[in-house]
Amino acid sequence: MASTDHYVIIGNGPAGNAAAETLREKDPDCRITIISDENIPFYYKPKLTNFISGQIAEADLLVYNPDFYTDQNIRLRLGQRVEEIEARTNTLYLSHMEAVNYTKLLIATGSKARVLPSMESYAHCLSFITEYEEVVAYRKQIRKAESFFIFGGDLVGFRFLKMLRKMGKQVTLMICPHAFWPFNITEEMQDTIAARLSDTGARIITQDDISHVVEDNGRYTVTTQEGQGVTVDMVFSFNGLVPRVDFARGCGLDIDRGILVNEYMQTCLDDIYACGSCAQIYNPKLNTYTTSIGWPNAQTQGRVAAENILGENREVQAVGRKYFDLEGVKIKTTWWEDYDAQDDNINLG
Amino acid sequence: MKEMNIVIEICGSAGEGTISAGEILSRFMSSQGFEIMSFDAYPAEIRGFGKCVAHTRISSSPIYSPGKQADVLIALNDGHSISQLPALKGDGILIYDSQPAKAHEEDKSVLGWAPAEVTSYGVPLTMLAQKAAGNARGRNMVALGAVAALFDLNQEDFCESIKGRYAKKKQIVIDSNVNSFKEGFAWTRENFEINSRFVFEQGRAQDGDSEKWIINGNQLVAKAALDADLKFFAGYPITPATKIMEILSKELASHGGTLLQTEDEISAIGAVVGAGFGGIRAMTATSGPGFALMTEFQGLSVMAEIPAVIVNSQRGGPSTGIPTKTEQSDFNAAVKGGTGDCPRVVLAPTDTRSCYDATVLGLYIAEKYQTLVVILLDFFLSNSIRNILPPEKPGEDVLNANVTPGEDAMKDYKRYLMTEDGISPRPIPGTPGGMHFSTGLEHDEYGRPDYSEKGHTEMTEKRHRKHLSVLNEAPAPIVRGLEDGGADIGVISWGSSAGAAEEAVMFARNEGVSAAVFSSVMLSPFPDDALKAFCDQCKTLLVPELNHGGQFADYVAAAVHRPVERLNFITGRPMASEDILQKIREM
Repeated sequence: MASTDHYVIIGNGPAGNAAAETLREKDPDCRITIISDENIPFYYKPKLTNFISGQIAEADLLVYNPDFYTDQNIRLRLGQRVEEIEARTNTLYLSHMEAVNYTKLLIATGSKARVLPSMESYAHCLSFITEYEEVVAYRKQIRKAESFFIFGGDLVGFRFLKMLRKMGKQVTLMICPHAFWPFNITEEMQDTIAARLSDTGARIITQDDISHVVEDNGRYTVTTQEGQGVTVDMVFSFNGLVPRVDFARGCGLDIDRGILVNEYMQTCLDDIYACGSCAQIYNPKLNTYTTSIGWPNAQTQGRVAAENILGENREVQAVGRKYFDLEGVKIKTTWWEDYDAQDDNINLG
Repeated sequence: MKEMNIVIEICGSAGEGTISAGEILSRFMSSQGFEIMSFDAYPAEIRGFGKCVAHTRISSSPIYSPGKQADVLIALNDGHSISQLPALKGDGILIYDSQPAKAHEEDKSVLGWAPAEVTSYGVPLTMLAQKAAGNARGRNMVALGAVAALFDLNQEDFCESIKGRYAKKKQIVIDSNVNSFKEGFAWTRENFEINSRFVFEQGRAQDGDSEKWIINGNQLVAKAALDADLKFFAGYPITPATKIMEILSKELASHGGTLLQTEDEISAIGAVVGAGFGGIRAMTATSGPGFALMTEFQGLSVMAEIPAVIVNSQRGGPSTGIPTKTEQSDFNAAVKGGTGDCPRVVLAPTDTRSCYDATVLGLYIAEKYQTLVVILLDFFLSNSIRNILPPEKPGEDVLNANVTPGEDAMKDYKRYLMTEDGISPRPIPGTPGGMHFSTGLEHDEYGRPDYSEKGHTEMTEKRHRKHLSVLNEAPAPIVRGLEDGGADIGVISWGSSAGAAEEAVMFARNEGVSAAVFSSVMLSPFPDDALKAFCDQCKTLLVPELNHGGQFADYVAAAVHRPVERLNFITGRPMASEDILQKIREM
C-alpha cells in the first residue's frame, strides 16, 4: 500500500535538500514538500560573491534546476513563508493563509546575517550578502558604487573584499573581533589577518570599533570610536550568522540560539525535527548544545534527520573540514569532537 | 504616446462579481482612450455556477485578438484561480486575497501554486470590503482599486465608471462599490510601490471615446436587426445565442415587431419562413444542435425562395457538445449542409464590430434574393466585448430591398420567373394578381409542381445563378501584406479567427517574414476569384481555424487546386495570434 505520509521540510538549503533526497530514496511513495521564503531553487550561497562580480550567471548558482523536483515528485513551494507551527494538529500556517498538514516536519531554515547589538540603530545603513534576493537588489548598486566600508570579517566578507578590489573598488575593512561569532578573534589574530589582506590594497582598521553611521544623500559616513571618519557609497556588515528561527518561537519548541534537538535531530515536540545551522544539537559527551556551520555538516544532518523521520535510530556525526582557513588563521569547526580546553576553539595557523 | 498592451484576467466564482468587475474595467479603459477586447469564460453548466473568468485585453493600438496569456491575474477565488495559473505569463502579476475569512485548506491557495517568477501582490480583499461596506461583496471592487493603485490609474475616473455600471441600482449599492474601490486603492498605495512595468498614460481619451459603445457580438446582432427593420423573431433558447432573443424580447415590440418563443428550433425556423413568406423581415438565432434541427426548413427557404435569416453561434460540437466553448466546426453544416442542391448565403463576421454589418447585410440579402442567409458567429464573437463607435444605421435602399414585380408582370404573374440574375420579382401576399403556389416541391415558373427533367434542371440552375449573383453584395475581402507584390506565406482565415490571423501576419512581417493575410465575411458564395488572385501571389498557404480537420481548409484547397498547411485547435478557446505566429515561424 502506498505511503500517505506527508513530510514537510522548511528550508531549501543543503540540509533540507539532503533530507528530501533521502526521504524520496527510502520512501518512493510519500509526499514531500519543501517550503522556502526565497524565490529561487536550491542554490550555492558561497557563490553569491561570484554572481555579484558577474563571474557566473544566475543559472550557475543553481544546484538543481526545477525539473529535478518534478522528477523526484517533490513539491517545491518557493517564495512562501511559514507564519506559524501548530504542533497540536500537525499543521503549518503560511503567511498567505494556507494551512499545510504534515506527518513529520523538518526545520532546516539555516541562518541569517547577524547584526551586532551595537549596530542595531544603524541597521538601515547596512547591507548584507546572505541571500540571493539581497544580492539581486544590490548587484547594480555594487557595480556602480566606488567606495565600500566592510565591517566585521567572516569568510564571505573577506571573499567579498577581494572581489571588490579586483573590480577596482576602494575598500575599507574594519575587522571586528566578534565577526566569527561565537568564536572570538584575538588581537594577534586580527593582526595576522590584517597583514594578509593589506596586500589586496584595501585599507584595514583593527583595534577600533564603529561609533556611529550617518546617511546623507545616498552616501554613508562611518565614524569610529577612535575618531576616524570614512565616507563611502555602501556599508556592508559581515559578522557571522544567527539561526533563522523567529517564526518558530512560541509554538512550543525549545529554542536557545537555535532550535534544540537531540543527537537524533528530534526536537522536544513529537513529529518535528530540526537540522543544519538553525539547530543546536545536544552532544552527550559535552553535555551541551552546539551549533554547526558548513555545507557538508548541513547535508549530513539532513540525511540523518530524514532517516530518523522514517523510523531509523541514527546518531549524527560531524563531517567535513576540521578548520576554516581565515586568511591564515585556522578556526576549528569540528563541533562534535570532545572539547579540548587547550584548544580554545581557535588556533593560529 | 507610449505603446501599451496588457491582458488582465479576473477569476472568481459565480456571484463574486467577476464579470461585473471585468465590465467596469473595460468601461474605464475605454473612457481613457484605450482599445479593449474582453471575453468572459464560464463553465459548461452556464452562468450561475462555478468558475468565471473575465479576460480583458487593453491596448493603445488596434486589437485583433484577445491575447493568449494574461499579464495580470486577479484571484477573487483561490480554488478556481489555481486552474487559471497556466494562462498567466511566466513573469506575470498575481493579485490575491491575503486575508481571507479563514485559512485555505492545503493546496487550495492560489499563491501556493504560483510559479516563483510570478510577482505576487497580497491585498486583504475580504477585510477591506468588510471595512468599506460591512460585507465581503465588494471584494471585486477592492481588487479593482488595487489594480488602479498598482498601475497608477486615475481614481476619480475609475469611480465614475463604477457609478456608471451601477447607475440603475440603489444609492447604497453605488456607495458600497465605490467605497470598496477606494479602500483597495488606498491600502495598495500605502503598502506597495507603483508597478512601472505597464504605463497607462493619461490624456489619451478623445472626444469620441465617451460615445463609444461597449458591446458584444450578440448585442450588436440584436441592435443591427432592430436597425434593419426586423419585424419577427422566433427562437428557442440555446447557448451562446440566447442573449439575442433576450434583448429582442425587450426591444422588438417597441419597434413594431413580434417575438415568439417556440417549443423547439423546428417550430422557430418554420415560423420564420412563414413570416418571410408574409413579406416581413424575420430571423432566428440558435447554435449547433438547433441549427441541425432546422435543416428541413432551410431547404424549404431555398426551394420556395422565401427569405429567412438564421444566426448560428457556433459552440463545441457535435450534438449538444460543449455549450460554453468556442469552435468553428459548423462551416460545412452552414455552407454545405442540408439535402439536395441547396445553395445558401453564409456570412461570417470577423470581429465584434462586423456582427452588426453582417446582420444588416444578411437581412438585406435574404429579402432581396429571397433565400436563406446563415450568419455564422461563434461563442467568442457572441460574447467578446469591444469598444466601438456607434455604427451608421442602414439607409432606405437597404431597408427596402424587395424586388417587387411591375404592373405588367402581374397580368400573368410567374412567381419563379426565369431571369438573368435568378431573382424573380416577389409580391407581398395580398397583392392583387399575385396569387401563386409556394411549395417545397420542385416547380415551374408559376410555382406549380414540376418533376420534369428540364424543369428541375432549369430551376436548379436558376437558384444557383441567383446564389452567385449575391457576390455583388459581398464585402471586399480583407487582404494585407501583398503591397510588395507577393508573399512567402499566405494566411487565409475566416470568422473569429481572422483577427488573430491578421495580427499574426502583422507580427511576422515585423520580424521580417514575408507573409500576407486574406479573409472574407462572405463564405457562400465565396469570392473565389479574389481568393485565387491572393493565392497566386503566395508561395505557401496556411489556413488556421477552430475545428478538427480543417473544414475551411478543405474548401480553399479545392478552390485553388493547391495543398494548404492547416492549423487547427479544438481547445474551446479563441484563436490566438501567438499560435499562428509560431506556425508561420516554423513554416
